[in-house]
Amino acid sequence: MLKINNLSVFYGGIHALKGVSLNVEQGQIVSIIGSNGAGKSTLINSISGIVKYKEGEIFYKGEKLSKQAHKIVKSGICQVPEGRIIFANLTVMENLRMGSFLRSDTNGIDKDLNRIFDLFPILKEREKQVAGTLSGGEQQMLAMGRGLMSNPDLILLDEPSLGLAPLLINTIFDIIIEINNMGKTILLVEQNAFKALSIADYAYVLEQGIITMEGNANELIKNEKIKEAYLGKKNVDFISV
Amino acid sequence: MSELFLQQIINGLSIGSVYALMAVGYSLVYSIMNFSNFAHGGVIMIGAYIGYFSLTFLKVPFFIAFVLSAFGSGILAVVMEKIVYRPLRKRNAPFLYFIISAMGASIFLENVVIASPIGPTFRSYPTVFSSEPIMLGSVALGRIDLLMFVISAISLMVLVYIIEKTKIGLSIRATSYSIKGSTLMGVNVDKVIFIIFVLGGLLAGLAGMLFGMRYTVYPQIGNITTKSFIAAVFGGLGSLPGAVIGSVLLGLIETMVSGYLSSQYRDLIAFALLILVLVVKPTGLMGKTTEDKA
Ligand SMILES: Nc1ncnc2c1ncn2[C@@H]1O[C@H](COP(=O)(O)OP(=O)(O)O)[C@@H](O)[C@H]1O
Ligand SMILES: [Mg+2]
Repeated sequence: MLKINNLSVFYGGIHALKGVSLNVEQGQIVSIIGSNGAGKSTLINSISGIVKYKEGEIFYKGEKLSKQAHKIVKSGICQVPEGRIIFANLTVMENLRMGSFLRSDTNGIDKDLNRIFDLFPILKEREKQVAGTLSGGEQQMLAMGRGLMSNPDLILLDEPSLGLAPLLINTIFDIIIEINNMGKTILLVEQNAFKALSIADYAYVLEQGIITMEGNANELIKNEKIKEAYLGKKNVDFISV
Repeated sequence: MSELFLQQIINGLSIGSVYALMAVGYSLVYSIMNFSNFAHGGVIMIGAYIGYFSLTFLKVPFFIAFVLSAFGSGILAVVMEKIVYRPLRKRNAPFLYFIISAMGASIFLENVVIASPIGPTFRSYPTVFSSEPIMLGSVALGRIDLLMFVISAISLMVLVYIIEKTKIGLSIRATSYSIKGSTLMGVNVDKVIFIIFVLGGLLAGLAGMLFGMRYTVYPQIGNITTKSFIAAVFGGLGSLPGAVIGSVLLGLIETMVSGYLSSQYRDLIAFALLILVLVVKPTGLMGKTTEDKA
């Protein structure tokens, strides 16, 4: 469904992605794990058209993907960004309306709105509340609901667990599975390697702009190198904090 | 209440409402692009001239002159955005570059008019309304003052409607919070910026013509926007309600100072208040706080 060939991204002199290639099949959850600064957000933002790349190609549903952000959204790819970036000055409902900005199928929008309220009942309760006053977990739910409002086929999730309490992280990952069961393909980027691997079909390890390992997630999770680098004692502590 | 007081309130509301027409143009641009568009004064000046020549040269009806001013200024604002700011935006230039370019554009427009056959002379609009005021008891309502208030109030209500109730307005508000966020929702930010320059420009044209009618037209008339800039800062840069409230307050303060002290103190006090606001509450009455701007 999504195929990236040899993608390279520079920020001035910083070479953030050094020839990344990857593949996401329809219906899958694919995770990319990597520590802070590995280039995960750069990769996600390149797909979304927020970061420009000079080298490499991205194909989506067999065709070359546009480089313009609004056309990318229109073609069925949405990003739920790192740090959520919900519109704190707008109400919950207005945020959701922004999610469906490019759509005009009123019936479809209403249907999706109801589905999102089923998925996140708290958003229905907070419909008229200004989004900036939501808690961190609620903001993450809003960001995901807003993304779903574009009725995407492929959802890019950038560190959805960032800054959330462990219990909430479990809830969010349960919801990711549920969204996947709705037929949405998911590309998930995480530092929380254990969680990301445990729900994924396939996974990649990104280190300093290079894919260093890939494989079925249930195999990677048992891999010694990964255990040491990402699931080790230090990281387990980090996860359980 | 004394008559003078009532009279000054009416004068203050009418001048304040025109400040508001200009101040919202500043605020719209600031809310999304985070810089003060000092070229706005030039756009207002051109609007004042378009109105003047529409009435004297084209001899169109008064209402048509307003429409021409508004559209002329709207187009000019968009063209300036394309020529001056867009190249800066495309290479992510620092905000200082925007402000300097805006000032340059303003000086350029002023001098184009001075160098042209129009020249530096002061020109009076032809009389459209009788100068005889409408009397409400013993309070005099100038016809042009009334027109200023009515046109400004209606335009501002339309603007508020667009911003608060339409999808375009929603995308403007979202973009003002986060350009990245709204881009990810599929908003074409170039289009949003185009729209805010159209809206600001249309209102600038109306304001220019109203000012020209009330006073005179001359190449430096755009300097009056300094006042609306003060008003926008009062209310909080980037906030539309703030811009309107700040403008009306400034109009009232100015006319009160003129009425009870002396008109010589008017600008002194206006600028003193600006400095005071910047020192005590830099975000103004309703301005967005810095952490709002991610
Ligand atoms: N806008 C930017 N300008 C310059 N360097 C950047 C920018 N964004 C990210 N980087 C750098 O690129 C590298 C990858 O960053 P990022 O993609 O954010 O990593 P991750 O999301 O994996 O933490 C880092 O070294 C980071 O400092
Ligand atoms: Mg990141």
